[in-house]
Amino acid sequence: MKSLDTRKTRVGAAVCGLLIAVSAVAAVIMASGAQARSGAGELKGAGATFPAPLIAVWQQQYESAKGVKVSYNAIGSGGGIAAITNKTVDFGASDAPLSPDQFARCNGCVQLPWVLSATSVMYNLPGLPNNLRITGQVIADIYLGKITKWNDRRITRLNPGKSFPDKEITPVYRSDSSGTSFNFTSYLNTASKQWKSQVGNGTTVNWPKGVGARGSSGVSGVLSRTEGAIGYADIAYALKNHLKFFSVKNRAGNFARPGLVGIKAASLADRKFSSTNALSIVNPPPGKKFRKAYPICTYSYVLLRTTSPNAAELKPFITWALTSGQQYGPRLIFQPIPKYVVAKGKATLKRVHS
Amino acid sequence: MATASRSVPGPAAFQRRGRVRPGDAILYFVTLLAALTAVVLLALIAREVLADAWPAMKAYGLGFLTATDWDPNKKLFGAGTFIFGTAVTSLGALLLAAPISIAIALFMTELAPGWIRAIIGPLVEMLAAVPSVVLGLWGILVLGPFIVSTLGPAIHGSLGWIPIFGTEPNVGSSMFAAILILTIMMVPIISSICRELFLGVPQELKEGALALGATRWEVVRGVVFPYARAGIAAALILGLGRGLGEAIAVTQVIGNNVAMPTSLFEPGDTLASRIASQYQGADYAIQVSSLVYLAVILLVFSLAVNVLAQIIVRRVAGRHRVS
Amino acid sequence: MSAQPSTADLFKAERIGRRRLVNRLVELAATAAALLAVAVLAIVVASVAKRGAGAINLDFLTKPPALNTGFGEPQPSGIADALIGTAIIVGLATLMALPIGVLAAIYLNEFAPRRLSAVLTLALDVLNGVPAIVIGIFVFVFLVSGHGQAGWKGAFALGILMLPMVARATQEVLALVPNSLREASLALGAAKWRTTLSVVLPQTVGGIVTGATLAVARVAGETAPLLFTSSLISNEIDTNPKDALASIPMFIFTSAEQADPTLHEQAWGAALVLIGFVLVTSLLARAFAARSRQRLAGER
Repeated sequence: MKSLDTRKTRVGAAVCGLLIAVSAVAAVIMASGAQARSGAGELKGAGATFPAPLIAVWQQQYESAKGVKVSYNAIGSGGGIAAITNKTVDFGASDAPLSPDQFARCNGCVQLPWVLSATSVMYNLPGLPNNLRITGQVIADIYLGKITKWNDRRITRLNPGKSFPDKEITPVYRSDSSGTSFNFTSYLNTASKQWKSQVGNGTTVNWPKGVGARGSSGVSGVLSRTEGAIGYADIAYALKNHLKFFSVKNRAGNFARPGLVGIKAASLADRKFSSTNALSIVNPPPGKKFRKAYPICTYSYVLLRTTSPNAAELKPFITWALTSGQQYGPRLIFQPIPKYVVAKGKATLKRVHS
Repeated sequence: MATASRSVPGPAAFQRRGRVRPGDAILYFVTLLAALTAVVLLALIAREVLADAWPAMKAYGLGFLTATDWDPNKKLFGAGTFIFGTAVTSLGALLLAAPISIAIALFMTELAPGWIRAIIGPLVEMLAAVPSVVLGLWGILVLGPFIVSTLGPAIHGSLGWIPIFGTEPNVGSSMFAAILILTIMMVPIISSICRELFLGVPQELKEGALALGATRWEVVRGVVFPYARAGIAAALILGLGRGLGEAIAVTQVIGNNVAMPTSLFEPGDTLASRIASQYQGADYAIQVSSLVYLAVILLVFSLAVNVLAQIIVRRVAGRHRVS
Repeated sequence: MSAQPSTADLFKAERIGRRRLVNRLVELAATAAALLAVAVLAIVVASVAKRGAGAINLDFLTKPPALNTGFGEPQPSGIADALIGTAIIVGLATLMALPIGVLAAIYLNEFAPRRLSAVLTLALDVLNGVPAIVIGIFVFVFLVSGHGQAGWKGAFALGILMLPMVARATQEVLALVPNSLREASLALGAAKWRTTLSVVLPQTVGGIVTGATLAVARVAGETAPLLFTSSLISNEIDTNPKDALASIPMFIFTSAEQADPTLHEQAWGAALVLIGFVLVTSLLARAFAARSRQRLAGER
């Protein structure tokens, strides 16, 4: 009797064998899944979108200076805190200092301020000039939903001579966990009692109304597409996307712009580090020193683990960022950090080892 | 749907003559393991997701389903707004997609001559192949501005007295945009299933009605629809399931708002969209847990919808096999 | 059915006129609906093609994203890392899902008793209906949390999505193979395993390839499973699946929401590449399926 077609048998067996072999290989790959580590000469970071424009320059300059590639994913301060807690990155970045809870969960993390800039309050009103005037109370009322139209008297009386349209105000906020939100809402806490009791401050809050967007770039995106919108992001984003931003009234009674002068003045408001290196410079007190201070400034922090597998690459990079890196800041409206902050950073860095 | 070949004897058969052929046993067990993978995966998914949601479930209980706060500061979380958003966007899209899809299926089975059918059929199926992130991109940069400039004011102007169109369409990101995008995603699914159903209506029934002098539409209304009724229901439910679970395109165009929207032109949020936008950076452990709780609710909804559709489909297939 | 007009009534002049009118209206509505669907598809594809064509050039396809920060020379920016990342992730996903899907379908169709087969098939259909975002959360909780992101973990998530599609497609083709073939082989004394592998399986290769191709086309555009498993990327061309890899859908997702119009153009370009790949693959798969179905039917 003629046997079965051996060629077809072989094909069928080969196909099945291949399938099984291939899944075995796949299983081996999966089983050997050690934690992904950056190779030598590479650093991985993630976190706040606030400092991202400056970090991008640092990535460029540091690679050409030292040959080390740094990658940075701007996923928001919350994402940065989660990433460093989960050990998925070498460094995290957050504008909101870690809470005691977060330090506990991070288990062996330190933070140090490495960037200093301002949160601008941007608006999309074609036909109106840049740097219109506004106060913290008005901003809070807008985000609370108490002021709904641009031609509200509370806005127009701050800007005599300008004609505001009868348009709905669309507040834009960060939908992701954001240190910029923390900075902005911390400011609103000091400017409006109702905001403080009803909403409070945080990286994510219960926004009473408006549209959410991911990242500072997302907020700028919605703003550029929506007439009558108001939003907040690091001043670098407002400038990059040619968005107009407000001059905000400070406690000294002047309307200050988020520029290098305003930021420098504001940084004088807090020179005393907390036990975890945090500094708060929101809404500086009245006084000659703070005449020109912009009220919504903040430091941004880099988050490191005291035990870092990549410490040999990481420490030089952070040191460089604290010192040489600052020179690239002013063009993007990042004020170079004061000397005592650099000193504190270097001291903290000594605690990092591999 | 094809039926499995059943005349081949089961596992007992290769133990005939008291001798188990090793090759048969190996193949049997290897394939059995593979087949059990689906069950194992489902069990794993259920377990992991429930385990991570448990802290929030314990803290908030079932009240989570109706609470509308989402306040990480005060540690108050609730799924109410998102369940509402999911329901409104999915059902709203289904409301638009159902008549359109059924009409398309009718067009392709009853009206169109063969050559048109051959062109339009693949085109409608291609719509299903457009990835959701691309539809979302189009939604942000094309549909959104169009709603703000043209479509929204037209609807608000003429129908603004109805509360759901009551506010001005200022922003491109809104519930309305999400509904339109979901409709585009649902139509290909529903219409392709309906097309198969309508093709399966026995020719004799239709010819009989035509012979009695019925118009084409009367044949459809009197013969096709009653015959395919259950299948159409299953198709709609499967389409709904698609809308419920869509995270990416929705989160791109819906505006991620926490407050309960009062009109379709306001931004809102759905279960899937909230998970997508907040999960990566969730702060407190209870917030992470609450987001996974949202995932549990979403999972329950989609499973319920899918199982319901599958039951209907199997019952319809059974009934039609008998007849 | 109450108060039905008599057949004679139905053919009265005015009734037949109205009935014909209603019929006409419905026909017009159905045609309009079909044209609407085609129009929407045309608008979407045209938008992508028009806005994306300008972005596509050799640099776009061969270079990774550049950090054009305003300092120094602007470098050409591209999506090479995302293209390679998607290829690797989808490739790994196929490697994971294809064997298991095919083997599962073999069990369900060739070995399983009817009731068990029904239950397991239901499980596959239920798995098919789990939203992609929930699968993403599952893989994050199961594999990523505490360990880090990786391309292969994203591939695992996509593989879960592909599994039911591949299994179902294989099941359907297996069922098309006539029983006479199996019976003849068994009657000749071949073992069950031999029958399955060398008689039944070769007949189904075309259908399996089609099913796998359609699954690949579907999964290449999925974003949600990658959101938490492979999104912290290093912006350069990385081929190691143990690192988080870039992907086309994630690139489109993150570029779409930004304010920078250059990024928008790149997003459209990437969308054009993605849509092109998905549409061409789907069409080819369906054409191949139609042909192999004809062949299978013709061989009987």
